[in-house]
Order: sequence, then structure tokens, then C-alpha cells
Amino acid sequence: MVSKTEEAQVNRLENQVDNGGGGAWEYLCLVRKLKLRRSDKVLKHGLSILNDPSKRSSLGHEEWTLYEQVAIAAMDCQCLDVAKGCINVLQKKFPGSKRVGRLEAMLLEAKGSWAEAGKAYSSLLEDNALDQVIHKRRAAMEKAQGNLSGAIECLNKYLEIFMADHDAWRELAEIYVSLQMYKQAAFCYEELILSQPTNPLCHLAYADVLYTVGGLENLQAAKKYYASVIDLTGGKNTRALFGICLCTCAIGQLTKGRNKEEKESLELQSLAATALEKDYKQIAPSKLSLLRSTLKSLKLA
Amino acid sequence: MGGELRYEIGHNAYIKLVLHALKHKTSAVNGVLLGRLSGSDATPVVELAESVPLFHSHHIGLLPPLEIALIQIEEYYSDQGLNIVGYFHANERCDDIELGKVAKHIGDHIHQCFPQAALLLLDNKKLEALPKGKDRGPVVQLYTRYILELEASWIRWK
Repeated sequence: MVSKTEEAQVNRLENQVDNGGGGAWEYLCLVRKLKLRRSDKVLKHGLSILNDPSKRSSLGHEEWTLYEQVAIAAMDCQCLDVAKGCINVLQKKFPGSKRVGRLEAMLLEAKGSWAEAGKAYSSLLEDNALDQVIHKRRAAMEKAQGNLSGAIECLNKYLEIFMADHDAWRELAEIYVSLQMYKQAAFCYEELILSQPTNPLCHLAYADVLYTVGGLENLQAAKKYYASVIDLTGGKNTRALFGICLCTCAIGQLTKGRNKEEKESLELQSLAATALEKDYKQIAPSKLSLLRSTLKSLKLA
Repeated sequence: MGGELRYEIGHNAYIKLVLHALKHKTSAVNGVLLGRLSGSDATPVVELAESVPLFHSHHIGLLPPLEIALIQIEEYYSDQGLNIVGYFHANERCDDIELGKVAKHIGDHIHQCFPQAALLLLDNKKLEALPKGKDRGPVVQLYTRYILELEASWIRWK
């Protein structure tokens, strides 16, 4: 999960490099740090550094990290020859390395040789049973073959050992959502919120799932989590603002006739609506009338 | 009961959805189709005149973004006399041509308001083959729940 500012920074850099303004190495480091999947750009700009001997030598020992990054990007883009080339260079430099062995197994994956890749990973695990990347590759292989329940099983087993791996919890949650297993997805997001209580994106995802499941209790909880997103982001998250409006509307429909705390919830909804109008006026004034009619239908519906 | 139903998709609508899929190669994408029912009773035609790309990756399958999007889209296009008449979906994996749960669910919802709703599933293999081959046919597979009468579930068209 990347924040808005981080994403803006990466995009700015990407634009700069794409248009010949330099900064390729900085871009590649940022992509690596934020664990983004922009393989076509990484491949293009990474190769431009690797294929230039002077640029390559100026990297010092970071050169090998770049070979690894480009190899993976090449596999993602199905440029298997490039990937093989990078892996060969790394093999020569680090003979017998487990890390290079991992890349070789990933190449088998990229070729679709699932059984061989599986065997390669198993043998690598024999010497290093706690290699997190390899465990996760096995889940990735299940997912790539369309075996989502297998991927879920792998991830669950992995998380029993490595329960602090946020990325894995998030991946598992997203797989559950794609299968409409919302209660299980909610559990994953709860784990994420426990370990990252100040990350608004976890609260947001959790609120979305709660709303999707529905029912009065879930809607009321969703509203609270949308409110905490607004709190954590200083009111800047549009989806949370919309979420408040949706929740208030849905709760209103379910509690028609009951006079419970109506005033408080209406106040929150109107605050959210005002904030949305202000944002739209500033950023998308042409859509302001559309926003207004949307909010109107949410208040009446 | 009408005669044989035909579906026509507008150039722009089609291109927008395919481009949306191409922009997000590593995830599932979806979108809605707008249009109207026209033609005569004997030869009804579902015109898929416009499209709006919706989401990619994990936002598919979550209700809040979808609800807001549908409200706004309906509002915006009703001025042009267009309604939501279809749904577009592209799966995450390139060899996956199964109509998934989420796609069917959203399709059902649209079908309730418009029985002749069209569900388009991107065929990734055909998309890949486009620049290489001479086959300029559509890269989507059409599903409908309305062949001669309302069907119980989504049927592949032709």
C-alpha cells in the first residue's frame, strides 16, 4: 500500500526519466523500495544503465542488485532471454548463491514449468527453511495457475509462521475479496489494523469490506472506520467521505421508523457532504452538479 | 416475445474498455456499458453506445466504490437518454476465460433493471493475437441472460 505522496513522487520521477530527464537509478531504487510492479519501465530503464559500461561501473556493488531487479522485471514482461542473461551474469559473480538459485527457480516459473520450479523451491527450502520469499513464491505459483484455494492455503500456512508480514495479509485479503469471501477478508484487514493502526488505507479497506457484507452492525462499524480514515488523513480521503454518506444512507434505510441517534449521524453525513463539495469545487468543478445530485439521491434513497 | 435479439457495440465504447484492460495488464479490470434498446419488436437491437471504465485490482468486488460509480454514471448518462445496459470484465490471468462470481453478481444486478443486459468478458488470447494475426474480430466474449426468453444464468452468445 503506497500513500498518495509516495505515488506522486514515483510518477514524477517516472515521467522525468521517460522524457530523457535522467534520474533512472533514483527511480529504480524508489520502485524497489516501495515494491511497485512497473516491470516494463524497470526493464527499459534498468537495461539502459546495464548496457552502458560507464553507467554500470558507477553503480559499484549496487550493480548486482540492479541485475536482480531487471531479471525479475524481464520475467514479468516475458523477456526470458534478457532475464536469463542477467541471471548468467549473477551466476558468474556469485557461484553457488542461494539468492541466484531463487532467481533461476523464478525463471522456471516464468516459463510455466510449474513442477520444476516447485522442485527447485523445495530443494532451496531444505537448506533455508525460513526463506520468506520462497514461501511466498509457492503461493504465487498457485495463484498463477488459477488455484486460488491453494494460494489461500499456502498464505495461511505462511502467516502462521510469519504473522508480521503485512504484504501477505493484504494479498490474502485481496484474494478473499475476489472470491467474495468477505468475512475472511475482514479478518485479514483486522490483523493489518492491529499491526498498523495509524495506516488509514487499512481502515479504509476494512470499512469497504464491512459495508459490502452489510447488516446494521457492519454498517455502523464501517461508518466508524471511515470516520477514522478521515481523522487519520485530515479529511483528505474522498473514498472515506463517500463512505460516510453511503453508510448513513444504508443505516437510515435499515432503521426506518426507529428513532435512534438520528441527529448525530445526519450531522456527520452533512459534514462529509460539505467536505466533498469543497473538494470538487477545487479539483473538479465541472463535476460539482453531478456530485450534488449523487449526494441528494443518497440522502433520500 | 421478440425476434432474434442483436447486440451492437459502438467503436468508442469498445476501444475504451480494451484500452482500460491494456493499461492495467497485471490486474482484473471492469467497466459498465451504456446504451438503449432500439430497433423494432421483430428485430430488437441492444445498442451499446458508450462505456465507462470502472476499476482495477482489488477495488473490484467491493460495494462502496461500485455504488457511488453507478449512481453517478446513471445520473450523467440519463441526460443523453442512455441507461446502464451492460458490464465489461477482464480477468487477472491471461488464460482465464471463466465468468467469475463478481462479474456474474454485478451482471445480475444490471440484468434486474435491464433484462437484455450484455456481459462482455475479455478474451486475452484474442487480444494478444491481434497485432500478429489477420483476425480483426472482437476480443470479447458476449454473455446474455436473454436468448428467446429470460434464462436462469449467463449464456455465451454464439
